[in-house]
Amino acid sequence: MKKMMRVCGGLAVTLGLVLAAGCTSSPQPTPGSSGVKPSGEVVLWDYYGESTPLKDIVAKFSAEHPEITVKYEAYAYDAISQKFPVAASSAAAPDLATIDMTWIPQYASAGLLADLGSFSGGTLNGQPMQSAYSAGAYSAMQYDGHLVTAMMDFDAYALYYRQDLLQAAGLSVPKTFDDFVDVSAKLAKGEGSKRTQAVLMPPSVFHFAGALAREGGQMLSPDNTKATFNSAEGVQALTNQKRLLDAGGLYWGPDAGDYIAGIADGRVAMFIDGPYMMGVLKSGAADQKGKWGVATTPYSKQPGSYLGGTGLVIPTGARNGTAAWVLAQYILQPENQELLYTKSGAAPATLAGLARPALTEPDPYFGGQTPFAVFKDAMATAVAFPNTSAWAEISKSLNTAVESVYLGKATPADALNTAAQESDAALNG
Amino acid sequence: MPLSTASPASVGTLTMRPHRRRRSLVGLVLVAPVLLVVGVFFYVPAALSLYWSFTKYNGNTPPQFVGLKNYAFVLTDPQTLNAFGHTVVFALLSMTVGPLLGLVSALLLNLPIRGRVWFRNAFFLPVVMPLVVAGTIWKMLLADNGLINQLLGVVGLDHQWLTDPGTALYAIIATSVWQGFGFETVVFLSALQSIPFELYEAARCDGANSWHQFWAVTLPALRPTMVFVFVVGVIGAFQAYDQVYVMTQGGPLRSTETIVFLLVERFHELKLGPASAIAYLLVAVLATLSALQLRLGKEKA
Amino acid sequence: MGRRGGRPVAYAVLGIWGAAMVVPWLWPVLTSLKQPSDVFTSVLPPTWTLDAYVRVFSLGSFPRYLANSVIVAATVVALNVLLDTMAAYAFAKLDFPFRNVLFGALLVTMMVPSQVNLIPLYRMMIGLHSAIPFLGADTLSGIILPGAVNVFGIFLMRQYFESIPDSILEAARIDGCSEWTILRRIVFPLATPALATLMVFVLLSTWSDFLWPSIISSSEDSRTLPVGLALLAQRNTVSWPETMAGAVVTAVPMALAFSVLQKRFIEGLTAGSVKDA
Repeated sequence: MKKMMRVCGGLAVTLGLVLAAGCTSSPQPTPGSSGVKPSGEVVLWDYYGESTPLKDIVAKFSAEHPEITVKYEAYAYDAISQKFPVAASSAAAPDLATIDMTWIPQYASAGLLADLGSFSGGTLNGQPMQSAYSAGAYSAMQYDGHLVTAMMDFDAYALYYRQDLLQAAGLSVPKTFDDFVDVSAKLAKGEGSKRTQAVLMPPSVFHFAGALAREGGQMLSPDNTKATFNSAEGVQALTNQKRLLDAGGLYWGPDAGDYIAGIADGRVAMFIDGPYMMGVLKSGAADQKGKWGVATTPYSKQPGSYLGGTGLVIPTGARNGTAAWVLAQYILQPENQELLYTKSGAAPATLAGLARPALTEPDPYFGGQTPFAVFKDAMATAVAFPNTSAWAEISKSLNTAVESVYLGKATPADALNTAAQESDAALNG
Repeated sequence: MPLSTASPASVGTLTMRPHRRRRSLVGLVLVAPVLLVVGVFFYVPAALSLYWSFTKYNGNTPPQFVGLKNYAFVLTDPQTLNAFGHTVVFALLSMTVGPLLGLVSALLLNLPIRGRVWFRNAFFLPVVMPLVVAGTIWKMLLADNGLINQLLGVVGLDHQWLTDPGTALYAIIATSVWQGFGFETVVFLSALQSIPFELYEAARCDGANSWHQFWAVTLPALRPTMVFVFVVGVIGAFQAYDQVYVMTQGGPLRSTETIVFLLVERFHELKLGPASAIAYLLVAVLATLSALQLRLGKEKA
Repeated sequence: MGRRGGRPVAYAVLGIWGAAMVVPWLWPVLTSLKQPSDVFTSVLPPTWTLDAYVRVFSLGSFPRYLANSVIVAATVVALNVLLDTMAAYAFAKLDFPFRNVLFGALLVTMMVPSQVNLIPLYRMMIGLHSAIPFLGADTLSGIILPGAVNVFGIFLMRQYFESIPDSILEAARIDGCSEWTILRRIVFPLATPALATLMVFVLLSTWSDFLWPSIISSSEDSRTLPVGLALLAQRNTVSWPETMAGAVVTAVPMALAFSVLQKRFIEGLTAGSVKDA
């Protein structure tokens, strides 16, 4: 009996130690030694959704690289933002994941992203990394002197509009902000949450950032220590948004689900969003083919939008980083970057991808227009979010501020001041 | 092996000493697996959590000791205090309305009626469902153009139940009450059916009518059950999470954030220090409530 | 007295109330059989269709979630039956060193909310996963292991065992039976009524468990039905039929079990609340 107890006790202690040891270890993936061909399993997490091009790309990849098995896992955008940080530095991490570029500073500063320099040797598909991307993109891929992500697509916002509805109402595409308010008021029917043919107004920081840029305001001070979005320009930007919502907008709360529902049933006649919505429209509102157009977001002072995108990252907990990099490079090849555009409408991030012919072809869904030209312009005047690890918290504060103004619970000045206070605390805490 | 070490006094005195137990080590072997599981999956994490509540830790770099900073932050942070407030409102409302409905339905079911089982099942069925099912169903029913609004719209009472920060929390509470009051129905019914008939007889002899009988006999007899139901329910309500996750994700405008929801959010933000502090504050509150329940339970021996 | 006259009123109230309780079931079931565009426009489906269920089972991975839930529930119930009973018997009928202290240590866990363990337990499971790849985080064992023992179940079984007369056990011991035989031949069979209650109680709490499974699982491989449903419901307001089909699939097993074992369910859930007179 006593012996059995001692064995049990020993087992318990050992188990406890093993488990406790797991708490503190944070393995770094090591690049395979040169000469050994990368193989094995690569777990890929993708947040693209139904119109993802990655499934097709992975299928092609598996045919060309039979020695690497790709385990593809789809996640919703919110779900991945919850699961990834928690899993990234542990053994439950994927090998490769799609991550919103705006999350990069926070993840990199928490030590979740492996240095891609060691996997890539500074090259992408045979080209030096620095010349594969524009200067802006390349600097956005760095954190603290390390290359932490390989950018896959760009995101900048433009105006999508139902040209058939505008024509029927005898209205022309708005160019200035006042036009926009006017047109939306005339086009929308009904009031409040029962509106149809309205402008989609989600209370998100991405839209506020665009409005702020169009007023010439800045998010943070140049040294990233203080919030400046509550300046006069910021208050004006948020006031503008509220004005638009009241005139002809449809409030689309964070819990209202995917936009496509409101687009497909006609409640939304105009919305401001990025190129990937082209893919969403084609798959979710196929019967509206030929009715949509794209134009620069209306502005009074200057054109502007937020600048973001998707980056491919290898988390520090990845078990097979070498094979993951092989897959990442394949995804970033020019033909596959083109597939990104044709399948889901997203704008390629690599220079080679941007030069592909498909991007300059007219699109029948958009009545023969070449929508990509509009997004290219938007990217030229787009402003990236500040590169600070406190951005996640600032973004949450701003989301709450915008939400409270849209719901009529606070004035723009008050809401932005509260958010500024919270942000300053996060920046300096 | 054990028999030879048995003390002489125990042999031959089986009928005299009723509770003599001699198998001293077999017992330990039998409880060892349970102790192992509880030790490893409860005590070790609880200790780690306590340690982390005094550190700054993101799960990746080693924890740094920061003393009481997390607790100070958590006790003064408006978001945490709001979440705590929401949770208290949730617990109080659901544990008064719920048991009330349970009591009324139990009284009705206690009457001599037919089909009692059918009605009891109708009330009790939601209780056996996962909370996420109730949350999902009511998310659709309470949607802006959902069934509830279509019915209420006829009299102009339709409202954006889940998207108005002023009503979202109450909508979630209503869902929880719908899901849970059947439990109280069954508990109260069982208690009602065990009240001795003689007590009612005695009261009637004293000239009490049914209303008086209710106050004088029924309610006092139900008191221990009511206390039990309230305290257990409040402890459960304090841990509300599932419905919030499915129905509102803490919004709109953070008006439905509960303590546990906030805890999980901090976990996702890799703020493990404050998250652990929040957890231990919850422990303090619930341990107090549990102790209260034990004390009140003992009173009514 | 006044009671006879009140009965129609009681029936009326109960009738309306009962109907109100049933509508929140009927409506989702009907919705799951509709096309998405018909959801808010008509009561009965104009065209009955099983599309939503087909989608949920083919694209939505619900077969996997269902299988996982069943495996987890079955394993946890089996483990609890074995381990809880053994321990309860020991605490009730055997004497061993530290018995009261150890029982107290178990009771303490009932007063502490499980959320306090969430985060460290997650990191421990991660550690286990890196040491033994088929255990730990993102595997079913991560859900099963912490739930292998239910202290309230031990408490229940112990109460039951205390009411078994010692004489039976002493008689068996005098006959030369070892404790193991006593356990197998006498204790477990005798405990059957209480075991039934324990099994139902554990089954219900395991099947409905959401918070921990949602944290410990990341890929589809280890998600259980509640987690799958919550993910579906949280983001999918495009296709209510699909979400409702998921809800129906999650609810049906317990509903079926309840309709068959009503009494046991009620006993199981209310155990410990109604003190014996």
